[in-house]
Amino acid sequence: MHDFEPKIVAFVCTWCTYAGADLAGTSRMQYPPNVRVLKFPCTGRIDPVFILRAFQKGADGVLVSGCHPGDCHYMAGNFHARRRFAAFRALLNFVGVDLNRLQFSWVSAAEGGKWVDVVTELTERVRTMGPMPEFKELEHEEQWSGAINTPELKEAYDSIG
Amino acid sequence: MNAKANKNHVTSIEPAYYEAITEAIRKEAVKILKNETVVGVVGYLPGRRKGTASPALVTTVEEAEKLIFSPACVNNLSVYLTKAKKGVLKQGKVGIVAKGCDMRALAGLMTESQLQREDLFIIGVVCPGVYGFGVQRTGTLTEENIARKCRECTVHMPEGADVAAGTHAELADLTPEEAEEMARIEAMPQTERWAFWKEHFSRCIRCMACRQVCPFCYCEQCLCDKNRPQAVESSPRPAGNMAWHLVRAMHLAGRCGGCAECERVCPMDIPLNLLNRRMAQELKELYDFEAGLTPVEKGPLNEYKENDDQSFIK
Repeated sequence: MHDFEPKIVAFVCTWCTYAGADLAGTSRMQYPPNVRVLKFPCTGRIDPVFILRAFQKGADGVLVSGCHPGDCHYMAGNFHARRRFAAFRALLNFVGVDLNRLQFSWVSAAEGGKWVDVVTELTERVRTMGPMPEFKELEHEEQWSGAINTPELKEAYDSIG
Repeated sequence: MNAKANKNHVTSIEPAYYEAITEAIRKEAVKILKNETVVGVVGYLPGRRKGTASPALVTTVEEAEKLIFSPACVNNLSVYLTKAKKGVLKQGKVGIVAKGCDMRALAGLMTESQLQREDLFIIGVVCPGVYGFGVQRTGTLTEENIARKCRECTVHMPEGADVAAGTHAELADLTPEEAEEMARIEAMPQTERWAFWKEHFSRCIRCMACRQVCPFCYCEQCLCDKNRPQAVESSPRPAGNMAWHLVRAMHLAGRCGGCAECERVCPMDIPLNLLNRRMAQELKELYDFEAGLTPVEKGPLNEYKENDDQSFIK
C-alpha cells in the first residue's frame, strides 16, 4: 500500500493541543502531513457527530486531542469529553467500527514532541490498515436498500399487493 | 433478582389479575379527580378493536371509570407529559398510570428537570408484563406472547409511586432474549457486526417514529433536523441512517429506561432497543450507573470523576 496516503482529521482544543501543534511547527519538528487540524474551544465542544461526519466525508482516521486532566481552561470540559468518548467508543465498537482508527490523546501546549509522536503513530497505523471503506460505502449507496428480511415484513408487504 | 428466586412457577397470567389492577386504577383515578387533587389522569382506555388499549387523558369521573389495564397497555405514557399533551401540566397536577419501565422514564425526566415530582400523582402498576409486537392477543399473557423487554424486566415493582395497583405476579423462568441477542452480536467478528447493523439500518425509512415516541427525545429542535450546517443527512439513505441511529443511541446513553417503545413503533423492525441496552450496559460497567426508579442529580454523561478510566487515551 505504498501509494495510500491516509487522511487523518484531528479535532483539537485551542488551549492545549493546538498550541502544542503550533509549538511543534515553530520548533521545526517533522511530522506526517496527513493530518488536518480543526480547532475547537474545548474538547467538551467536540460532539461525537463530528467524528461520524469526518468518517463519512472520507477520513481514514480521527484524532481527538485536548488538555491533560486538571489542565482544562474551562475546568472540566475534558473530563466530560472523556466520559462521552468512552461511551461513544463502545457504541462504535458495537456497530462494528475498528477502534484503531480513532485515537484520543492529551497533549499540552508544551508537548510539541508528543504531538509529533501521536500523529506519526496514528498515521502509520492507519497507513498499514488501509483506507476506511465502511462509511464511504454507505455514502456511495444512493438508494434505500428496501431489503425485506423478516417473514412478518414479507407477509405485510405481499398483502399490500 | 430476589423476586425471581422465590417465585412460584407461573406459566400464564390470567385476565383476572389485570382486572384487579384495572379496578385499583379506576378507584384511585376517580378519587383523585373527585377531590380535585389532579386536573386529569393519563391512562389507558379500551381500544376500538378487541384486545387493544389506547392512551388517553381523562378529566372527568365518568371517563375515569372506563380506564383499563391489560397486557395491551404497552405505551409509555410519560411521553404525554412532555410531548403529546404538553400543555396539560400547566393546568395543574396530573395523574399518570405508570408501569415499572414508564416509572424509569418519569424518574429520568425528573432528573433532567423536564418534570417536577410535585406536579404528578403517579399510579404505579405492579406490571406482570405486556404483549409483544405482532403476537396473538388472546386473554392470557404467556411466555409466547410476552414482550421481549418484559422477559428481563427488573422493575416489576414500582417504587416511588403515590399508590401501587396490583400485587406481585410474573411469569416464571423466561429466557432473556435481548441479553442473548446482545451477546450474540457482541461475539461476532467486527466486520459481521458492521454488516448486521448496516443491513438493519439500510431499511430505515427515517419516519422518525422512534424519536417521536421516545420520552427522552424532547428537544424543541433536533440536531438531526438541522441543515446548515447539516450534521445528519435527513433523507432515507444508508449514510444518514447510520448516522441517525448512532446519534440517537449516543443521545440516549445513560438516560434510556428501556421501555422499548422505539422498537415497538419501528415500522421496519429495526432492533433499536439492542443499541440502547448495549449503551446502558456499557455505562453500568464504566460508571456503575443504571437508569433507575428514583431521580438522581445528574446522569452519567453529565458528571465526571477525576479518576475515570482513561486507558483508551494516549
